[in-house]
Parts: sequence; C-alpha cells; structure tokens
Amino acid sequence: MEKIHYERLQETLYHEVMDNGLQVYVLPKPDFLKTYATFATKFGSVDNHFRVADGEETQVPDGIAHFLEHKMFEEPEGDIFATFASNGASANAFTSFDQTVYLFSATENIETNLSTLVDFVQNPYFTDENVEKEKGIIGQEINMYADNPDWRVYFGLIEAMYAKHPVHIDIAGTIESIDTITKETLYTCYHSFYHPSNMLLFVVGGVEPEKVFSLIRANQGKKSYQKQGEIKRIFEEEPKEVAKKRLESKLAVSMPKIMFGFKEKEEGLTGEAAVRRDLTTKLMLDLLLGSSTALYQNLYDADLISDSFGHEFNSSPQYAFSAIGGDTKDPDLLLQRIKEEVNLLLESGFAEKDFERARKKKIGGYLRMLNSPESIAHEFTRYQFRGGDLFEVLPVYESITLDEVNKRLQDHVDWEQLAVSLVVSP
Amino acid sequence: MTNNGFHHGNAAGMRIHVLPTKAFKTFAISLYAGVPLDEDTVTPTALVPFVLRRGTATYPETTQFRERLEELYGAGFGFDVYKRGDYQIVQFRMDTINDSFVQSKESLLAESFAFLGDVLTQPLLEDGSFRPSYVATERETVRKKLEAIVNDKARYAAERCIEEMCRFEPYRLHPLGQRADLEGITPENLYQSYKSWLDGAILDLYVVGDTTPEEVEKLVKRHFGGDKSDTGAYSSKFTPVAVNEVRTIEEKLDVNQGKLNMGLRTSITYKDDTYATALMYNGIFGGYPHSKLFVNVREKESLAYYASSRYDGHKGIGTIQSGIEAKNYGKAVDIIRKQLDEMKAGNISDLELSQTKAMIRNLLSEIQDSAFEMISFDFNRQISGKDRSTLELIEQVEAIGAEEVKAAADTFQLDTIYFLTGQKEE
Repeated sequence: MEKIHYERLQETLYHEVMDNGLQVYVLPKPDFLKTYATFATKFGSVDNHFRVADGEETQVPDGIAHFLEHKMFEEPEGDIFATFASNGASANAFTSFDQTVYLFSATENIETNLSTLVDFVQNPYFTDENVEKEKGIIGQEINMYADNPDWRVYFGLIEAMYAKHPVHIDIAGTIESIDTITKETLYTCYHSFYHPSNMLLFVVGGVEPEKVFSLIRANQGKKSYQKQGEIKRIFEEEPKEVAKKRLESKLAVSMPKIMFGFKEKEEGLTGEAAVRRDLTTKLMLDLLLGSSTALYQNLYDADLISDSFGHEFNSSPQYAFSAIGGDTKDPDLLLQRIKEEVNLLLESGFAEKDFERARKKKIGGYLRMLNSPESIAHEFTRYQFRGGDLFEVLPVYESITLDEVNKRLQDHVDWEQLAVSLVVSP
Repeated sequence: MTNNGFHHGNAAGMRIHVLPTKAFKTFAISLYAGVPLDEDTVTPTALVPFVLRRGTATYPETTQFRERLEELYGAGFGFDVYKRGDYQIVQFRMDTINDSFVQSKESLLAESFAFLGDVLTQPLLEDGSFRPSYVATERETVRKKLEAIVNDKARYAAERCIEEMCRFEPYRLHPLGQRADLEGITPENLYQSYKSWLDGAILDLYVVGDTTPEEVEKLVKRHFGGDKSDTGAYSSKFTPVAVNEVRTIEEKLDVNQGKLNMGLRTSITYKDDTYATALMYNGIFGGYPHSKLFVNVREKESLAYYASSRYDGHKGIGTIQSGIEAKNYGKAVDIIRKQLDEMKAGNISDLELSQTKAMIRNLLSEIQDSAFEMISFDFNRQISGKDRSTLELIEQVEAIGAEEVKAAADTFQLDTIYFLTGQKEE
C-alpha cells in the first residue's frame, strides 16, 4: 500500500496494484458518513475495432459498450439493483466515449456493497433471451435522446468534425446497430476489455484504506485471471480538417440551438502534457467567452445569447475539440459577431489582470469540486486513464503563464478548423 | 440549536441558521425568500432575482459584478426560483472557498456576505428605479426560459400534468411566472414589486462551514441592515383536495417518444406523523430501481427506459413519469394502474419493505455529507413548521410495516393521466 499526502489539499490518497493488475485507490474522508465507489474499465463507445495481443482483429456493432453496461446488471439470480437495495446502496453506471463506469453510494454495509460491485462486474451473464429483451429498453433510451435538442446539437458537432474516428458515433448506437448485438459479441467485448489490468477501482468516503485493500486482495485472489496482453485499438486515419463545415438537424425547438468548435490539429498527447493542454485550453476559452467577458456581455445585451451559452473542451489521445454554444435567435449573426471580436483578441492577446482573475476562478472551482465524492471519483479516474493525476492540478494551474494561454489561443482558434452544428425547427 | 445541528437566531429581519463544521473546503451560504404563490405577483417576483444579478450599487456593470466573484476565487453564485407547497421561493446560493486553502488578502466569508447583502438590498438604481436596460433584457431572458420548457419533453410533460391537475389552485402557476404578464412590467413597477417582495418575504439565511453563529450574526448585521422587527413564518395550513374522477388529457407534439405522466393526490404532508409512511409508499411503488414501477414497466415488459414515481410532501401530491412508444399507451397505463392497485391491496413483500427502508435510510444519512443538502433538509422544517431530524425520520421509517404502507396507499388517489404523443397516427 502506497500513501500519498497532498498537504495543500489536506487529502491523503492510498494506492495498490493487485496481482492481476487491477489498480485500486482509496481516498478517506473521515468526516463523511457515505462511501462512493466507482469501478471503471477503459472501454467506451470509440473502442469498436481492436485486437488483444496476437488475437484476431475484431469489429463490433456501434453502441455495444453501452449495451454491455446495461446487461452487466443482470445476474443468474436476478437484477443486481435488488442486491444493492437490500444493503442500502444506490447503484448506477454510465458509458462515455472511452470508459464504462459502475458505481454505488452507501452509508452502511460498505464491505458487502464493495464486494457486490466488484463481483457483479466480474461475472457476466448473457443469454439470447435477456439480450433480446434489452433491445426494447435501449431502443426507448435512443428515442429519448433523439427528442433531446441539446444532445442532438452536441452530437451534430462531433459528426461535423470527425469523418473516420468513432467518436462521432452516438454512444448508445442506433436501433439498427443494436439489433445486430448478440450474447457472443457481448462476451467478446467483455473478455477483451474487462480484464482487471484494464480497470480501476476508486473508493472515497468514510472508509479505512487497509480494510478496503485487504477485502479487494482477498476478493481478487479467489478469481483466476490469465495474464492479458496489450489491447490494441485500431483507428482509421482521421483527416486533419473537419468532415463538414456545417450540419443542421430539424427538431421542434423554441429557438435555434447552435454548437460550434475547433477541431484540434495536434494529437497523441498523454500524461502531464495532455493535462496541461486541457487546463490551458479551458482557461483560454473562459478568457475568450466566459460570462464575465465583455464579449459575452455584448452578445447577451444584443439578445444573441442567453444563460445557456457555454463552452467546453473535450480531449483524448486521438481527438480533441472545443464545443461552444447555446440558444440563439440568429446563429449566423452570432457567429459573425464572435468571429469579429475573437479576431481582435487574436491580434492583441489577453491582458495580465484578466488572466490572473480567470486563473483564480479556476483554482476556486477546482477546490470546490473536491467537496464532492462523486466528482473526485469520476475526475480522478478520467485523469488516471490518460496518465494524469487529478491531485496535481493545483501546481499546474499555478505554473501556467499568460504567454502560454496566448499561444494556445493562436493554436486552437483556427477558423479553417471550425465546424458548426445547428438544431432548428422544421 | 435543533437536532439537525444548526444554531438558529434572528438578525436584520431574517432568521439565521448556522452549522459550524470543518468537513468542507468551502462556506456554503443559502438565502431563501418565500412569498405565497399568487397570480398577481408570481411574474414580477420571478423576474426580480434576474435583475438583481445584473448589478449592484457597488458593482453596477454586469462584467464588474462577475469579475468580483472571480476575484473571490471563483465564488459560486446562483439563484433558483421554484415552488414549495403553495409558496414561491427565491433561493440565492454562494459557495466560497475557505481562505485556509488559498492565499487571500481578504476574508472570503466576509466578502461573500458583503456581496450577497448588496445583491439583495443595494441593487443598482437609476432615477429611483431599476436600470431600464437590465429590466428589458432580463424580461426577455425569463420569456425565453418559459418558452424553452417545451424543448425538454420529459420536463414539459411533467409540468403540463401538474398544471392540468391543479388548474383551480395557485400551484398551477409556473414558478417563473406567466409570459403574458411580462409585457406590462416596467423598471418603475418592478422596483415597487421588489420593495414589497423584500418587505413581505419570509427570509431564511443559512451558512455551513468553518465559522460561528456569532461571526455570522455580526456579518449579517453589517451587510444586510434590514430593520424588519417581525421575521414572519410560513403557514402550514393544508387543505386536502378530493378526487372525484380520473381526468385524461392527451396532447400532440412532434416527438419520437411518448411521455406518460400521472398525478395523484394524498392527504399526507411533511408535517404529519404519517409522513414516513408516504415516503415508504413512494419508495415501494416507484422511487427506486427495485420498485414495482421499474420492475414491471421496464424490466418485465421492456416498455420504457425510465418509469418512476415521486412524492412531494409539501404539496401532498404524487407523480409518475415514463417514456414509452405511443402504441404501448394502453398497455403501460394498465400495468401502472395494476401496481397502484397492488399497493392499495397491501401486496407488499418483506423484501420490498426492507429494501426500501435501506434505500431511504441511505438517502437520509447521505444528507450530512453535503452542505447544501443539509441546508435544504433544514429548510423543510422552516416551511412546514415540523422539527424532525434525519435520525428521527429514519427511526419512524424503520418502524413501518405493510399495514401502514397500505394505509398510506389509501390516501393516494389517481387524479390525472397526461399523455404527450407524436403527431403522426400509428
């Protein structure tokens, strides 16, 4: 057991790698009654073409990682929600582009609930019948998202940006693609991506680290896993330029929705370099379009944006893009105004005092996030899967310079790399 | 001090509630202002906080106002307008970093109070009333928010169901008011509305963090400076509404998925000794993934991705929500009504009882790990007049058997069935 103390954050993290390769982290919060645990695999919607060690190259249907997440909750003795409920735990799961996370939150029976979490995820049970049954449920989930204009405008942007990379495929797949899923394809994915060496367990809350580690050690010791070779994910080469400049979908909305962003040209960043680029980009976007900027206020007063206007930066080693937008009565005028104002900033760069204030805001936001066990677990896992460390973010923020942010502005805001997605009423 | 750990007092015409703790990295501050829901005042009351967040006498321009928050290490600042029982509540929130984590020259708690005090009592005035441009843009903002409700179909259906069910009560009103009333609002009459709102509202100020009741009282007196002698109190008067027949309403919109919502009436409210039985009723019926609704509508019949119920103890109503294919409407209604009948017949297993108790116990225990959750729980006490700690409520839940749940089921009467469906006929 390795112990890492972060003096300025007043947090202590414990870490151990199990013999089978499973990474386990524990962050005790002595004042907390609740414990929050996440069990995550580095397997998301983009992992649809892969090879394990010298095995065969495999291509699987769109939406299968999410389908697998749904099916994991079914055990031979029934639905695992019932077992969690008997032990007072609230359980859930979610699938993103590059990970699937199973989780629970509980204030009692922590050891039992931890065992349930680890055991159900390590015990797949798929039958022809239960796979067919799930198609109706996920079909309704897909329909629900089809009616959601925020989701549609966001995915429209990714679709506009990426021609080849599977990030542009909806996480849940389509009614047609999930129809081709069978228990065999589910088992193939399971055995490729749910090996302990591809997974991370994070436990935060009112727990004693040594107890957690000995429980997991004993639990994993009882299960036999063959050593697994490297998982090779296969991606077609993605062109540098955006696939489509503009993409429009129709859905009844009270006002058009716009989402636009820039497709990053540099790929392959991992670890500290990736963390630094992420934080610098987010800081830069806040200085550019944040709610305290003159630009934001001018657009708001001109009735071109509303409180829904925001921005984010999404990245992985193979893709990275910004997503900016909200509701607007006039998407073209909004874009034109933003272009004019941003071009002025590209000339002048940001001012030192604005930069310092934005940095303070980011540091405050980061510290506030550490109040939430849920955010800590999710963010820590996300950082770890990319080779970064969530608890080293403070020194990175403090070392970012104004020059770096100005350079990021020049690199990222390249109008050639712009894509625009719209949702408008039919 | 009540048994929720809060110290209670009065200052500057407000009730003050302070919970000293070192468990969090921030100071959580909440200010609740409640007035009776009323057709004549609902719209101006909703608009007031939107105008207040644009500028104060100290920070007249919105960019200055927001820059100030960023200087306070990105202090979280926000507000909500919602209904609690027959009251319209405006809630302001601040979440400020505890100074010990950063190198700040000023006391962040004191500065947050200065800021919030100004927002509430020192708005920007021009010629004795609100700045006209702020009133004009925020009126548009509220109008857009009201129009945007229809974009989120699940929320739209839920609100329409309540609106239909409570069409003869103030509760039919949307907390953001009525679009038609926005037209007539001017800077002058809104300023008058603000003054009478502030004068008449019941004000509760909460602080959770590393402070003391004495420090908070001093800060309140310095920065709020109200001179009301009577702090007022919420009325816990409740008149149950009898149900004569079930009303069915169908509405057509361009949607992929139909939304099925139902509304129920109960005579049990938060202040009653039987409140715990209503919580158990809702938990067994539809509050969790082990509940009758989830198991029967989703797991057994694959009709929906979500199917759940909620209980509002301040208004004495229950709601059911699900997303289904339009052609399955009849089947879904039958299954849901069958579950209601099962509840009334007392067909409740020991397992359902013990699982639901464990889930409610967990939910209530987790409250103490979040500052804002503790605040909202204690606010239930202010609005209902019932002082009951989470521990007492857990004890009451533990003592409940199937008979008591059956008795609660007798008080829940189906009132309204609302169905939002696609425009194309199947």
